[in-house]
Amino acid sequence: MSIARFSPFELLLLKSRSQVDTATLLLLAWVLVHRQHVSEGQRRRRLAQVTAQFRHGHELGPVMSIAHSQDLQAIQLAAEVVRKECGKERSLSVIHQAITVATDDGELSLANHYILRFFADLLSVAPTTLNTLFKELTGTPLASPEDPSRDTYWQIHDPDYHARKARDAAAAEQQQQQANARAEQQQREKEQRHHQKQQKQQEKQQEKQRRQEEARQAREQAQQRQQEQERQRQRQREQAEREQQRSRQQDSQQQRSSYQEERRNNHSRQQRASPPPPDRTTRALSILGLNPGATRIEVRHAYRRMAQLHHPDRYYSESEQQVALASARFQRIKNAYDYLMQTY
Amino acid sequence: MRDLYQRLAIPPEANEQAIQHAVASCQHSALRQDAEAIFSVAERREAYDTLHDTVSDIGKLRARLGLSHGAHWQGDVANDFSLPPDHAISRHDELVDRVSHAVSLYNRWRRLRGPWLLIAVFATGAGIGIGLGLALCWGLLPV
Repeated sequence: MSIARFSPFELLLLKSRSQVDTATLLLLAWVLVHRQHVSEGQRRRRLAQVTAQFRHGHELGPVMSIAHSQDLQAIQLAAEVVRKECGKERSLSVIHQAITVATDDGELSLANHYILRFFADLLSVAPTTLNTLFKELTGTPLASPEDPSRDTYWQIHDPDYHARKARDAAAAEQQQQQANARAEQQQREKEQRHHQKQQKQQEKQQEKQRRQEEARQAREQAQQRQQEQERQRQRQREQAEREQQRSRQQDSQQQRSSYQEERRNNHSRQQRASPPPPDRTTRALSILGLNPGATRIEVRHAYRRMAQLHHPDRYYSESEQQVALASARFQRIKNAYDYLMQTY
Repeated sequence: MRDLYQRLAIPPEANEQAIQHAVASCQHSALRQDAEAIFSVAERREAYDTLHDTVSDIGKLRARLGLSHGAHWQGDVANDFSLPPDHAISRHDELVDRVSHAVSLYNRWRRLRGPWLLIAVFATGAGIGIGLGLALCWGLLPV
């Protein structure tokens, strides 16, 4: 059976005179790596300063290189060792060292905010203890980390946030203007085309009117001619009739008078029946809530209003019976409207 | 600190185009505004990505060490970066196992060094003898 090779940190840990010290060293180096605006030399010096009393007995170089490579397994191993070996006092001192390494003037990098809190959880240090420790060491209270996943963070921390925004807005406006200009031009072209079309239509209409007038004149002439002919024929017929009448007048006078009377009676009855609208129309109008004599537009408006009022979907939330009733009413209204639209 | 990648349902290594598409199709208007502010500018995305990597590393560490419900791990960060607890064997135990295995191998080697050396000497001697014999045979046969 072959075993995997030991990682650099494992070898370091095995060689170390004090495993806790080596592990703490790696954790502190990890914090230092995430500190911003610090050179590599400064980092090493700071680490050496803070860990002057450690008894690990090896170089700091390899630890720093492991921390730089962000080796998660090494950091996990270090965290386990620290958790296993550190008592209460020692864990407080580790937190103390981590805070010292992370900040000089209370300004923590965002990553270190989370790393410090991770250490506090690892060594079971309560938030209040961490806060007081931080305040004692730096003079400023431990604020909650800012959130770069929000727009407001960049408003504060990006110096040319507003300049960039203005630039973007200007670009967008320019685009908008271009689009507007293009649209205007299109509109103008469209209008021109429309105008031309209208002119053409007008010409066509004038032509049509002229043709119609000509046709009408021709028709009038023909009518005049016809009328003259008819008048002549009428005169002839009248003459003939007058002669016939004179011969028949005496024997048929009584008959004719009775016939005329009958005809007059018929005519008057017809006139009386036509003006009142059929019964069905009145009923349909009353279903729509209208008086007889309503116009087509009124009928349409009334239908729309009634259809909205009595639509079955309005009663969907109520009982099924309500829906059934509403649909019956709706059907009746619709039938009335259809009938009115056909007859009106 | 929220995990915008997770909230937009894209992998952190997604390219510009995929991100733009995801941002444009996001239904949550506030989230869309934030995502636009961060992903439209390269430097901001870079800064966000570095922090994102660190915080997801911490999330992994917490999951492996059983610290995903700590007093200092709450709010958006805990919501977005917590992983399900990891039941992998602890690194320290693994190290101890490997060291003990290596020690046992070393001990066995120390114990068996004498006999193995003898066997090795005999084997090399036999090999050399056979080789010489074969060479002699090949030299004599054609004559």
